[in-house]
Amino acid sequence: MIERKRPSPLTQLLDLILIQLSNYRWSWRRMVITGMVAPVISLLALGLFAREADPAALTYVLTGSVVLSLMFENMGKVSGNFAFMKAMGTLEYFATLPVQRYMVVLATLIAFFLMSLPATLVTILAGRFLLGITLSPHPLVMVVVLMTAVPLAALGALIGSAARTPEDAGSTITLLIFLLTGLGPVVIPPNRLPALMVQIGRLSPATYAASALRQTLIGPVTGQLAWDLLFLSLLTLLLGWATSRKMTWRSA
Amino acid sequence: MLIYDIRHLTHTYPGQTTPANDDVSLQIAQGEIFGLLGDNGAGKSTLVKQMVNLLAPTVGEIVFMARPFPPSDPTAISMNVGYMPQDGLAFNSLTVAETLYFTAHLRGLSRRDACRERERLLEMWQLGPLRGRIPGKLSGGQRRLLQIAATMAGQPPVLILDEPTNHLDPQRRQQVWQALRQLNRDNGTTIIFITHDAIEAEKIIQRVGIMSAGRLVALGKPSDLKRQVDNQLRLELFFPPQSPPPLPANLRCHELDAGRWLVYLRKEEATAVLHTLDLTQLDDFRLHSATLEDLYMHYVNGGEHD
Repeated sequence: MIERKRPSPLTQLLDLILIQLSNYRWSWRRMVITGMVAPVISLLALGLFAREADPAALTYVLTGSVVLSLMFENMGKVSGNFAFMKAMGTLEYFATLPVQRYMVVLATLIAFFLMSLPATLVTILAGRFLLGITLSPHPLVMVVVLMTAVPLAALGALIGSAARTPEDAGSTITLLIFLLTGLGPVVIPPNRLPALMVQIGRLSPATYAASALRQTLIGPVTGQLAWDLLFLSLLTLLLGWATSRKMTWRSA
Repeated sequence: MLIYDIRHLTHTYPGQTTPANDDVSLQIAQGEIFGLLGDNGAGKSTLVKQMVNLLAPTVGEIVFMARPFPPSDPTAISMNVGYMPQDGLAFNSLTVAETLYFTAHLRGLSRRDACRERERLLEMWQLGPLRGRIPGKLSGGQRRLLQIAATMAGQPPVLILDEPTNHLDPQRRQQVWQALRQLNRDNGTTIIFITHDAIEAEKIIQRVGIMSAGRLVALGKPSDLKRQVDNQLRLELFFPPQSPPPLPANLRCHELDAGRWLVYLRKEEATAVLHTLDLTQLDDFRLHSATLEDLYMHYVNGGEHD
């Protein structure tokens, strides 16, 4: 008999991250289209408009497009992955291995975050060159990118776990991406939005993510950053907990 | 030692009024090869899902290796039981080799042992040439072999397999039964499986449970259960579909296929029936004593062919 011992939490996490990274085999094509092409088109279209009407709005166009890329790459793909795993029995497969369910959620969020970085970087650099914005990245920018991606991915995980089919998850995510981008000062500055939309935007993670990105990519960093990060952290915890409750898993 | 002690297990799915399992009780001992037979919707898959802790019983209890369900440590089951569900696409985007490695490693093997285990299973199931392929690109039979290999990865002491020979050709089916028998003989692995392939499974089954409409309607050694249909013979007739042979009026035949009938006979009437048959009208015929499949038909159909 081979010697076996219960895998440590670190072993579980690393293996599950590697397993989830294998999703690049299908996701890289979509990354090029939704993670790079769509945000760059949004940059170009809104950038042209903003340059004429309100040059200060260019910073919103840039950071809003980065949030859009992170939404497609994290929220969209994590949702699709959870819905697929639920439909195909992958969650049952994990449930019959000695791994904890929150490790599956955590590993999925980390893996899709890592896979989203190339698209995020391309969007930032495209914005820099196409819109002519001078970037002054703050040391916290990577933390902010992480804290933007993770709650969006957690929201995607919750939607994917709750959806009846992968198709249902896909349509919900598409609608949500439009709502989160449009409702609130994400791509468009608040002074160009109706007051009601600005108020609704206060409930949206995309608003806080865009605000934090603006401060750490372009500057200046203000006290608002702490509130943005606090909101995003609390939302991550809440959604992570809800997802691991909602996930189809063993009964214990 | 008892591996499973299942007591009065009932499971009703939400929104359903009829239970999928109804008061099922059975015990499975260490080192046993136990087969679960039954028609579609009989509750077999629901039962094994409860045995691997994927579904909670509505009523009743399961004791696993002397520990009650749900165990205080949920990994007690996942460390000891390799479970193969019916679905063959569970491995996400992993390749064949990665699936085997990660399954073995997560079942507690060291990295080096997990690599060795991967190579052993690739060779055992002749999956080597497919090692870099993802399951979505495999045929149904190849996926089934990968599932079986992954279930065995890490050599857990208990295997539960839901229809392991589905989608396999006769040669591969034979290989699966041989491998399971060898695993049981060499390692003392307890093997529990669901199958519709009763005739093939009979070669390795030590004890059988037959389920119908959620209930366990028979439980025991095949030889003991067969005594109940001991006086019965099975006559299979093969003929050109356009010209079926005439049969004595008192016989009822089951049409298995176009040009293939199955007739159950009592031993004392066999000679007379064979004399009435015009063998020149038949392509082939087979007469043999009751099989596990007949036993299954006997219980599932309530003995209608007797």
